[in-house]
Amino acid sequence: MSIGFWEVLALLVLVGTGLAVVRLQNAVHAALALIANFLVVAGVYVALEARFVAMIQIIVYAGAIVVLFLFVIMLLSAANANVGQDLLPRLGWVAALGALGLAGVLTYAVTRFQPPAGTPALGGGLPQALGPLLYDPEKWLYALLVVGFLLLVATVAAVVLIEPERIVAATSHPAHPQQEQKPNPPRAEQKDERAVVKR
Amino acid sequence: MIWLVASALLFSIGAYGALTRRTAILMFLSIELMLNAAALSLISFSKLTGSLEAQVVVLFIIAIAAAEVAVGLGLIVAIFRRRETTSVDELRQLRG
Amino acid sequence: MQETFLLPLTIALPLLGFVLLGLFGKRIAEPAAGWLASLLVLGSFFLGLALLLQGGASWALPDWLPGIPFSLHLDNLSGVMLMVVTGVGFLIHVWAIGYMHGDPGYSRFFSYFNLFIAAMLVLILGDSLPVVFIGWEGVGLASYLLIGFWYHERVNADSARKAFIVNRIGDLGFLLAMGLLWSMFGTLSISELVEKVEAGGYSFTTLTLAGFFLLVGAIGKSAQVPLMVWLPDAMAGPTPVSALIHAATMVTAGVYLLVRHAFILHDDGFLSGLIVTIGLLTAFYGALCSLGQWDIKRIVAYTTLSQLGFMFVAVGVGAYWVAIFHIVTHAFFKALMFMTSGSVIHALGGEQDVRKMGGMRKYLPATHLHGLIATFASGGLVPLAGFWSKDAILAYSFEYGPWLWFLMLLASVLAALYSIRWYVLVFWGEYRGKEHPHESPAVMLWPNHILMGGAIGVGFMGLPYVIDYKNFIEPFLTKAIGEFPHEKLPVLTEWVLILTSAVVAIAALWWGFRFFQQKMPAWYERFQAAALQGFYADALYNTLLVNPAKGLAELLFEGDKGLLAGFAGLGSLVGGLGSLLARLETGSLRFYLAGLLVALVLLVGWGVLR
Repeated sequence: MSIGFWEVLALLVLVGTGLAVVRLQNAVHAALALIANFLVVAGVYVALEARFVAMIQIIVYAGAIVVLFLFVIMLLSAANANVGQDLLPRLGWVAALGALGLAGVLTYAVTRFQPPAGTPALGGGLPQALGPLLYDPEKWLYALLVVGFLLLVATVAAVVLIEPERIVAATSHPAHPQQEQKPNPPRAEQKDERAVVKR
Repeated sequence: MIWLVASALLFSIGAYGALTRRTAILMFLSIELMLNAAALSLISFSKLTGSLEAQVVVLFIIAIAAAEVAVGLGLIVAIFRRRETTSVDELRQLRG
Repeated sequence: MQETFLLPLTIALPLLGFVLLGLFGKRIAEPAAGWLASLLVLGSFFLGLALLLQGGASWALPDWLPGIPFSLHLDNLSGVMLMVVTGVGFLIHVWAIGYMHGDPGYSRFFSYFNLFIAAMLVLILGDSLPVVFIGWEGVGLASYLLIGFWYHERVNADSARKAFIVNRIGDLGFLLAMGLLWSMFGTLSISELVEKVEAGGYSFTTLTLAGFFLLVGAIGKSAQVPLMVWLPDAMAGPTPVSALIHAATMVTAGVYLLVRHAFILHDDGFLSGLIVTIGLLTAFYGALCSLGQWDIKRIVAYTTLSQLGFMFVAVGVGAYWVAIFHIVTHAFFKALMFMTSGSVIHALGGEQDVRKMGGMRKYLPATHLHGLIATFASGGLVPLAGFWSKDAILAYSFEYGPWLWFLMLLASVLAALYSIRWYVLVFWGEYRGKEHPHESPAVMLWPNHILMGGAIGVGFMGLPYVIDYKNFIEPFLTKAIGEFPHEKLPVLTEWVLILTSAVVAIAALWWGFRFFQQKMPAWYERFQAAALQGFYADALYNTLLVNPAKGLAELLFEGDKGLLAGFAGLGSLVGGLGSLLARLETGSLRFYLAGLLVALVLLVGWGVLR
């Protein structure tokens, strides 16, 4: 793989947007930076002959997941990243050092990778090539089914998490009395916790 | 190759973000960055070794990431409702 | 000699008494328990006598331990001992029925008393040394239980423990001797040992060493110098105990052991000389200490010590049958002395200090007669029993060396003196106390009558050869002990010795009678103060042995506590480590993530760089 102008540009954009994601103070800006990052990654995928995956990346990852993030940010009005007291002030240095160390180690690791000679063609990563793999009962079919089921479960879980009372009420039956839901812990308890936390 | 290095860098940046961000949502965002970096490395390996299986795995990664984000954000919203704050440092009840 | 199970029956009878009274004692009424115990002992006496008259008996359980049978053997020697133990034992049991009246531990007392008789019989009848050792330890145990009978008083428990511990030193000697003999000869049966030693072919020094260890055992059990410190304190037990165990029987076990092993001793000049020295020391020590005591039982206890020294001298000079003869006579007059003292104590309601006695001849006529005969027998007045056995010892001592005879004569003078002192302080003069003395009941008087008869007459079975009257006991015993060639003294020398000791005894008794009635002169007072403390033997042992041992024990205890504290500290170390690690549990998510990151870096780095 030769390193041309576009590769270097793509790399710079990737690192730049990555840093933006982790450093920007406005959450919405950070999410948008992440979208940009994902789009560039999709481009990289195309260059790496994984076109189907690239499409999925754009549609699902950038287009659904991060958008969901944006919805939640707006719902909670949590646009400001500086929330509450920073209880671990020196963690920033540890994180930086750790990240640098990790980067160094991983880079070293990947540069030691020897790709095998004589690689077969990937067929561009098109659905026609992936399909047989995905739907083959001896390969990934069952995994695919399980992931589908997982998505269903996640959806249900998300709903239940938001409004447990309505769900419980909707599923109750006079013949099977359910245990009382515990009410929200009163405000006083929250105050105690904050007092405790200051230890 | 270079995209492997890129994925390593992105992963580290994501790790830095996961530690540094104090809001639950932004911490989660950094984790998504890390996940993406892993997917990128898989695609690179797919290209390097000529194996399509890696791409299948990346598809799964994306699907699972979607599920995970749904549940995770649901949790964050539920917590926010109880505590009126998204600060991660406030969530210390599992100390032990 | 017949093989019969009737022999272990003699042991089983008192053992049965021990078990029955031990288990059911609380339900058996007062005199019944005592009579049961006494009649069982009497049964053993008659059984033993019958077997002895038939020429002896034996019984064995072969291969009780590998190579060692559980064998019992009744011959003339053990027969004589058996009759003394059960006969005098029976009389003391009966006397105790009266003496222990009203004591809450009445049945327990007789149960232990019977245990003692059983153990003593095992000791006497044992043919195999381990069997003897069982009896040896058994009498030690019974002694401990009986000395500390009134264990609610601290001093009684301490005395019992002291007796047991000092005895233990002797027991160690016994065990070492057994080990040596086993390794030398491969057998521990006395009858077989006799043959093997006679056959020869062993190292003489090793045999001397074995004999020496046996001697150590005997010294412990018979309270010779230097292991004599337990006997005076053993008087903390009830008087019947002092009479039976610490006068007539248990303390003679050491002498018996040595006589049984005469075949080892008789050729060994070193050992015999050692025994003579120890016996002499003990004879003098006991006599001198007795002259300074104020407690009536301690006076008699020290006289026992002195007479045991006489027995040891007899063994040392090779007069084995004489030692046994002296055991017999001594059993009679010493038990009589103790029981008379007990009657006086009983009459005065528990008073034991002779300074508060005196004039008892007016209040207690029967007991006074007992006391008088006991004094004369103990003092060696002719023709009472004590005279003949003591005279035999003197005669054999003269053969050993005239110097020894002279020293023994001095010891006899002291014996006469301490006897008459006892008599004068208790029975003569005016009563110095405030009680109302009353004579003992019949159950306590009759055994003393019988003992008195014995103290007078028992000596006549061992008259010296110059008197034309058959000496029964010497051939009787020598048949069992062994024939050792012995030159008889010339007739004239023998008569001179007899007359000298007779005259000296009478003179000493008379002089003492006058001396102890008057106020004591200053030199005597000073002597007395030292004698009262046993010439500081206890203090010496305390400083040299007991206190350093206690100090070591304290040190080790502190060390042990320190070790425990160290282990506890180890525990708290772990706790400290735990609380240190608990600080990692901050509950903060970001902190945990940081930990994960660091760990990840390290692990991957290690994996990659390997």
